[in-house]
Amino acid sequence: MKRWLNKKQNETKPNKADWEKTLEKSNDFTRSNYINQKSNVHFCLTFIATLVDEQIIQQGVLPYLLEGELKTLEDIKKTVPSADVEISNDQTVIDKKILNGYIMLTIDSEPEHFAFIATQKEIVRSLSPPEIEFSVIGPKEAFVESLGQNLNLIRKRLPVKELIIEEYTLGSLSQTKVAVLYMEGITNEDNINTVKQRISEVEFDAITDSSYIVQLISDNSNSPFPQLLDTERPDRIAGILAEGKIAIVVDGSPHVLIAPTTLIEFFSSFEDYFLNWILASFFRLIRGCAVLFSLLVTPIYVAVLSYHYELIPKDLLGTLVTSRRQIPLPPILEALFLELTIELLREAGARLPTKVGQTIGIVGGIVIGTASVEAGLTSNVLLIIVALAALASFTTPVYKMGNTIRLLRFPFLIFAELWGLLGIVFAFCIMLTHLIRLTSLGRPFLEPFYPPRATDLKDAFIRLPFNKQTLRPLFLRTKNRTRYNKKKATEKKDIDE
Amino acid sequence: MPNLPIEDRFKISPFLVFYMITSMQIGIGVLGYQRLIAQYANEDAWISVLIAGSLIHIIVWMMYKIMETVDGDLVTAHIYVAGNFIGKLLSTFFVFYFFTYSLTILRSYLEVIQVWMFPTMSIFWFTLAYLLLCIYIIYGGFRTVVGIAFFGIVLPAYLFLIFGFNLKFANFEHLLPILDNSFKDILLGSYHMSLTFIGFEIVLFFYPFIKNPQKSKKWAHLAILTTTLLYTGLMMLTLSFFSEEQLRKSIWATLTMWKIVQMPFVERFEYIGIATWSLVILPNFCISLWVASRLLKRIFNLQQKKGVFLISITNLIVINFIDTREQVGLINDYTGKAGFIFTFLYIPLLLVMVLIVKKVKKK
Repeated sequence: MKRWLNKKQNETKPNKADWEKTLEKSNDFTRSNYINQKSNVHFCLTFIATLVDEQIIQQGVLPYLLEGELKTLEDIKKTVPSADVEISNDQTVIDKKILNGYIMLTIDSEPEHFAFIATQKEIVRSLSPPEIEFSVIGPKEAFVESLGQNLNLIRKRLPVKELIIEEYTLGSLSQTKVAVLYMEGITNEDNINTVKQRISEVEFDAITDSSYIVQLISDNSNSPFPQLLDTERPDRIAGILAEGKIAIVVDGSPHVLIAPTTLIEFFSSFEDYFLNWILASFFRLIRGCAVLFSLLVTPIYVAVLSYHYELIPKDLLGTLVTSRRQIPLPPILEALFLELTIELLREAGARLPTKVGQTIGIVGGIVIGTASVEAGLTSNVLLIIVALAALASFTTPVYKMGNTIRLLRFPFLIFAELWGLLGIVFAFCIMLTHLIRLTSLGRPFLEPFYPPRATDLKDAFIRLPFNKQTLRPLFLRTKNRTRYNKKKATEKKDIDE
Repeated sequence: MPNLPIEDRFKISPFLVFYMITSMQIGIGVLGYQRLIAQYANEDAWISVLIAGSLIHIIVWMMYKIMETVDGDLVTAHIYVAGNFIGKLLSTFFVFYFFTYSLTILRSYLEVIQVWMFPTMSIFWFTLAYLLLCIYIIYGGFRTVVGIAFFGIVLPAYLFLIFGFNLKFANFEHLLPILDNSFKDILLGSYHMSLTFIGFEIVLFFYPFIKNPQKSKKWAHLAILTTTLLYTGLMMLTLSFFSEEQLRKSIWATLTMWKIVQMPFVERFEYIGIATWSLVILPNFCISLWVASRLLKRIFNLQQKKGVFLISITNLIVINFIDTREQVGLINDYTGKAGFIFTFLYIPLLLVMVLIVKKVKKK
């Protein structure tokens, strides 16, 4: 019986293989036969028309195959001027190769062997300036959707052999290529291993963007805080690689991931490093205040007007009370109404095409705002506060963190309504605990504040000048902490010397 | 239970001991210790504070001596001195001690909230919320607890700048004449500082969690020095800000001092102060819960996860039964006394015992 089965299998072999049966259902599956003009060898090309570049086939492959010396498959390596020619007898790789844009070449005389010639069609969007992380000063290149192009952008900024690029293929259906980048001799081994392990453990069918990876490999996926930073700036990636961090590039995504990160990095824009340190520090402080303002100001308004009238001096209270005199709603409803309006505007603006989006902004912001004050639904003081808070939340340089901050306002509002100022502090304590517990690749997320590390504070709230930053960040536990030798840098000894 | 060594990644740097001690010491006592001390020592009350603080340095030295000798926490010391069974029995008292401590702190703070902010604040719901937060913190491990202690000191530190407003109205002649009171009265004042000063004894319980415990010594002493100077300074300011009569009537002198703050956009600053104070209370409450549950683990081998729940639920039930001002005062007194007995009587005694046992064992 067994023997009979085996025999049967042997007989079916000349018939179509599984991959062929499935692929034949697609219309772009192409198979064409040719005859070599010199040796009269019959050969057959199999490929998927939508994946290959016809120009390469017509100019770089076919003429050589038709007119060159072609007797065996080995001859292809000599005749076809392409670096990526492979001859194999492994049936299992056929579908993968064909689906990656190779053409398969078979000769009747050698049915067991197949040659693969690379003819992929690369559709690359041309480089464009960064849109989300725009900076007035500094390079204007941004990543695109092609892995090769992105790696090129990084490599040319760090042309040293220490830059290591390791590739993985993730996603059972999407077969997405993911590259892990780090600097050998600088980046901490534990961090590299953690990233590699987490990436190789990813189980998912289709990974279409780097944000999938973020969610699949973060330490705590139930946190509103993003734990991996994503950027579209190649210069930022070069900068963080030199610091000793790890970059993860995902094919098909214009956003490259950075790990490990700390909370403060989400509030520092890369432009800070292009500016003079005094200005950069000033802008960072402004941004820090903006975040606190955006988070706390509406809850404080609700807390004060619901519970703590006494907190406000008489004169200021007069202004507040006058503006609220005809409002029928309690402060919490008033605040929620306005906050939700702003969220609606933002969401509508984000979903609509740019030009319509702007109009919506104007209509929503001005018309709804003014109308609701005139209709007596909201006080104009609160309108100012909410608008300012929304504005402040947009100063966050990282888009994902801005979203988090806007979301966090709502629990704060609810606690403010419950217990007034006490509730705000309570909500703050919850947030603080959550942040203390958070880690990014096992490194504390709140560093350098907790655990307190004075040396890393040089690049936190303020950014000290480069000549004060001779060491790499402590929390990365880099193998080589010195960025440059300070002694070599010339120093003035005295006035006029 | 085998004395398992703590893994390195759960340990804390020696300097964080500073924040642990200060955040545990500064708590509910600071809001109103002045009246109590001034009752005995009058204008010399600040000397009482100074004396109490200096004595604590000796106790801290003793604590470190005990822990170095037995190389472990208080439970190890007890077992070292009295054997496994009696040692663990002795340690059980400290579960109650820290349970009461946490209860005292939270209930006194609730008293402040009820008197100053929300007269109808529900004890049950607030305690429940606070306990849930603490469980969340403790589940994050010891490092999270220390983190809360750190922020519990650093973030509310701005409150001490506020006393600058009181300087304008301070009359430092109130402090004169110096040393007009009998030494006994001054010492009585020192004795009543117990509740405000206790908290430093927690080192006895988290000692195995310190990296390089030798190095943490100086930080422990620095912490005591800081709180002593802080309390002394605040005491002097209070004495010179209030008249004797006024102070006698101010149960929460510190809060009353905040009342005079006036800024263009804020009046009645004590509301902000009290709200911020919940961040100061949090480490107090949280660390005592942590210590109590840690002790349960060390003594009864109970998982700390379950221990925290057990203590929290007991806390939640018992706190409802303390509902009058007198009872709050009473439990404050008892905790103060227990703290005094623990730190000033029990620790020296334990040190002597440990040293004797060490000599016997050597022979």
